Amino acid sequence: MSQPTAPRRGFSLDVYAVALALLLVLLVRLNVIPTVRW
Amino acid sequence: MATAANTTTPLGLSQPLSLGRRIVALIPGLLLLAAVGYAGKFIEQSIGTYTKSHHITFPNIEYVLWAIVIGLLISNTIGIPRVFEPGVATYEFWLKAGIVLLGSRFLLGDILHLGGISLLLIAFALTLSLTFMHILGRTFKLKPKLTSLLAVGSSICGVSAIIAAKPAIDADDEDASYAIAAILALGAISLFTFPLIGHSLHLSDKAYGLWAGLAVDNTAEATAAGALYSDAAGKVAVLAKTSRNALIGFIVLGYAIYWASRGQAQAVTNKAEFLWSKFPKFVLGFLLISLLATLSFFTKPQLTSIANLSRWAFLLTFAGVGLRTSFRSLGKQGWRPFAVGAIGEVFIALVTLGLVYGADRFLHL
Repeated sequence: MSQPTAPRRGFSLDVYAVALALLLVLLVRLNVIPTVRW
Repeated sequence: MATAANTTTPLGLSQPLSLGRRIVALIPGLLLLAAVGYAGKFIEQSIGTYTKSHHITFPNIEYVLWAIVIGLLISNTIGIPRVFEPGVATYEFWLKAGIVLLGSRFLLGDILHLGGISLLLIAFALTLSLTFMHILGRTFKLKPKLTSLLAVGSSICGVSAIIAAKPAIDADDEDASYAIAAILALGAISLFTFPLIGHSLHLSDKAYGLWAGLAVDNTAEATAAGALYSDAAGKVAVLAKTSRNALIGFIVLGYAIYWASRGQAQAVTNKAEFLWSKFPKFVLGFLLISLLATLSFFTKPQLTSIANLSRWAFLLTFAGVGLRTSFRSLGKQGWRPFAVGAIGEVFIALVTLGLVYGADRFLHL
């Protein structure tokens, strides 16, 4: 079960998640990573 | 994301773990998330292949359900060893990354297509949840701040909203744990009941997705409840839920001002800064990717790749939903907050179902 976390200093979880997603999108756009299959 | 960020030295002093060690600490749990999620996908594909080759008619049970059930079985039988906990706790991170990537599957036109009626329903459901939870809290004589947390959790976005509201209204840890437990327990129940109700009423993908996005509180469970019905319903559920999430800052600000005016929370000095700090940033990421997709920034194969990355991120999320739900700790939280949550959620689910059903029938959503 999720527990409440103490307020964090610095960036929130959201920002890291967005950064990772944008990095992946950029890598796909630049054809750096091969086609991702499901 | 809760991580074991501290370690104890031989002198008993606590010192923070280095970044490298914190990343290493995530690996076992991440591997467990991947294994459980992939097992769900493997079961879905195996059943599909078997039934097809033997000409058996069998409803397709999505990997989402298998991953959640496997996770629930593990967490409620053998339990999750400590070494896995930090990595398993990253499931919300994957949820948010997955939602940003999912933006590639929406053109901005689609988002507008959610329509005025849907947005009105979202506003109505939000007001209804807030009001009804306060009435119930008073009736069951819950502590006022616990009622506020339950109201925020049920009207906006479950756990994240409660965590955002807790420091803003100076609520106790215990109250936040009660509210989170109630929201998570009800979310788990909705995963199994919503698709059944949707199918029995023959709801369209859009109507069902809107209902799941309106009535299921935690984003992970709302996404899963939508995906369990159909891919299209899952997309609409994420969109409706994301619209609710975008309002988190305003609602938490309202509560912070209310409790500060009663001298029971710190006053908010800079409202704009407060709103920005509470605003879910992944909503902006989602809109950015959607805008890029609308502007044809990606080729079709690239769009497919990004959509598949989103699916892999959700696979980790759904495994985490099961692995992080412990029925024993939910049961320990006492019956009254759970009763308020349950009555409120059932009422909101029924009213929103009626509204969505009516809007779909008569106004063609």
